[in-house]
Amino acid sequence: MRTPIEKKSYLIVDDFGDMRAMLRSMLALFGVTHIDTAPNGKDAIQQLERNRYDVILCDYNLGPGKDGQQVLEEARHRGLISLSTVFVMITAENTREMVLGAMEYEPDSYLSKPFTKDLLRNRLEKLLIKKEDLEPVDRALERRDHAEAIRELDQRIAARPKNLAELTRLKADLCLQAGMLDPAQALYEGVLAIRDLPWARLGVGKVLYARRQYRQAQEVFQNLLNANEDMTAAYDWLARTHEALGHLQDAQEVLAKAVALSPKAILRQKALGELAMQNKDFATAERAFAHAVSQGRHSVYKHPALYARLVESQVANPEHRDKGTALQLIKQMEREFPRDGEAQLYAAMAEAVAQQGLGNQTGAQECLTRANQLYERVGVHGKPELTLSLARTVAHLGDTERAEALFKKAVLNNHDDAAFLRQVESAYRETGLADNPASMIETMRQEIVDLNNRGVQLASAGQIEASLGLFEAAAERMSSNRVINLNAARVLLLQMERKGADGESLSKVRRYVERIRQIDPNDPGLARVLDKLQRIVGRT
Amino acid sequence: MKFADILASTIHDIKNALGMVINTLDEITADPSYGLTGNPKVVTLQLEARRANYDLIQLLTLYKLDSGRVTLHLAGHNLDDFLDDMLVDHRSLAQARGITLDYACDPSLEAYFDEDLVRGVLSNAIGNAERHTRDRIRLTAVAEEGYVAIRVEDNGPGFPPSMLEPTDEHEPEEGFGRGRTRLGMYFSSQVAALHRNEGRIGHICLTNASTLGGGCFSIRLP
Repeated sequence: MRTPIEKKSYLIVDDFGDMRAMLRSMLALFGVTHIDTAPNGKDAIQQLERNRYDVILCDYNLGPGKDGQQVLEEARHRGLISLSTVFVMITAENTREMVLGAMEYEPDSYLSKPFTKDLLRNRLEKLLIKKEDLEPVDRALERRDHAEAIRELDQRIAARPKNLAELTRLKADLCLQAGMLDPAQALYEGVLAIRDLPWARLGVGKVLYARRQYRQAQEVFQNLLNANEDMTAAYDWLARTHEALGHLQDAQEVLAKAVALSPKAILRQKALGELAMQNKDFATAERAFAHAVSQGRHSVYKHPALYARLVESQVANPEHRDKGTALQLIKQMEREFPRDGEAQLYAAMAEAVAQQGLGNQTGAQECLTRANQLYERVGVHGKPELTLSLARTVAHLGDTERAEALFKKAVLNNHDDAAFLRQVESAYRETGLADNPASMIETMRQEIVDLNNRGVQLASAGQIEASLGLFEAAAERMSSNRVINLNAARVLLLQMERKGADGESLSKVRRYVERIRQIDPNDPGLARVLDKLQRIVGRT
Repeated sequence: MKFADILASTIHDIKNALGMVINTLDEITADPSYGLTGNPKVVTLQLEARRANYDLIQLLTLYKLDSGRVTLHLAGHNLDDFLDDMLVDHRSLAQARGITLDYACDPSLEAYFDEDLVRGVLSNAIGNAERHTRDRIRLTAVAEEGYVAIRVEDNGPGFPPSMLEPTDEHEPEEGFGRGRTRLGMYFSSQVAALHRNEGRIGHICLTNASTLGGGCFSIRLP
């Protein structure tokens, strides 16, 4: 079986013209005709926005601007390349350590310089065969159908292929993502029985964390770090575990170590900043957010929220004497994110805090008014983080009641998003409005879970009217709650199937569908609802 | 900046320059219009340039090892794939010198090691064997006693007795043996020793027990 590597399309990314020419001539020798090149990361992203490539050969070191890892992150994060695209990272021995520190996204293969054309050919053939073999898995994952992806993987694993270890790891990670904790644990432990491998240990720790067995998880991550002191992912997980246990000081210390090891990871700097804000260590927070902002300039993780947090930490930091810098930062923000409603909202919120810090109450209130208007426009149905930021801002300006209402809204609309609920908890704690935000949030979450379960039970017992009444009322209260809107739509469809569709119920379904689409256009449940709706409309 | 750092960055620079030399040589020998394909003088240039390049990479890795900046990137690798890569990387030059290079390995054999570092070790051993073999080199990998042993065997005259001493001490010796500067052996034993598992430590060993009748280099990884 020989994959025709010459039929594929290639993008070469390297800042050295000689190197680009060399790679191009290697590919040309294999008979490849479709080759594009890019001299830097920015160019590479532009090419990826316009064209689809089967293979990307990218040097890690691309001179000033984005590096290879940032190109990979942005391309995968923004969906510019699919799972079936082969991404080969070309490294030199001096970039080895930098490359291995990156955990968020991994390339399909590393190729260390120098390499011969024969090795390149061999590697490309193998990678393309592997991608072809895994195509059904990738397609299922793109639909977020984890069950189907795992079924496809199982078929391949049963044939005991050469890359069994790799497939086992993939399956274990997929099980974990899909919340299938027992099989995930069994797979990781199966690997550990043969060999004590850090990734499998980390997997066991993540399973424990998902089961909320934080003490055991903490021990696993701690032991991992004792044996592998540069495993950055273990620091991240240990910090998360400390946070879940309420050991915020420990969490901050752990992340500070990880940040010292790999300062380029923006999300980690941000996490450190958030922890330091809660710990009221504003100097550390300011440093971390400043790093995140400056490292983020060429990154896909560049975000106005980072600027806003930097402003807030500067205002809060007593060591930061020149309070005028905050206003400069806000100006910079407006320049960097032109015509971006979300950024304008963040800027208005940050400026309210900055003006308050300068003692300008009137100015602060004006900014808040502007922020409220912008929030009505981009925040109400926008990203839930905007609601959190606004809650923090109004709390800062002393409007406790409104802040509490906004926090409540954030929980009501996102009760099934555990990661976001942790953000709510941190923000709540930072404002000092609640002694135990975790238990307040948990009580609210449980109420919605119960309500939702009651509605589902009624529907499956055939009491459609009662169920519908419940979900419709809930959807009014939680207009951005994915689960509630989805279930409201489902029960309405059930009713239509029984009684036929009328204009009113159709427009109601469409409203719920529109809401879900706004929350997440790729929601797998949404696709099924639309499917059913299509059939019902077709029938009438 | 210490002298060692200046040395290291200079070596890095030379290595890159040499990399371009090697690539250009590969290019002009692959293109028949230059009329250089298979020219023995050019093959010598290619081999020597590559050998020098491996030396520089080894020096840089050892420098980082010494300053504690090397992280072992352990991952599971299929040995069949790994040896196939090694073969592909060295085959055309070996062929040009009239050497048959092949490998034998159980297709399901797996081991955990740092790919880049072990590739460096084997490239060095293959380079050595190329200079001393009569006309054959074979790569093999087998599981034995809790280790996976990867071997480079040849059908040359074998290692001189002075090199068959145990090489597990980490200091390079004075003098020039078959490996000329012994950098390669020093590098290989350091890389091997970085690989540890359940109390077992990786090591290298040199014998003249090659199934082909010549020298046999092994790296045993736990």
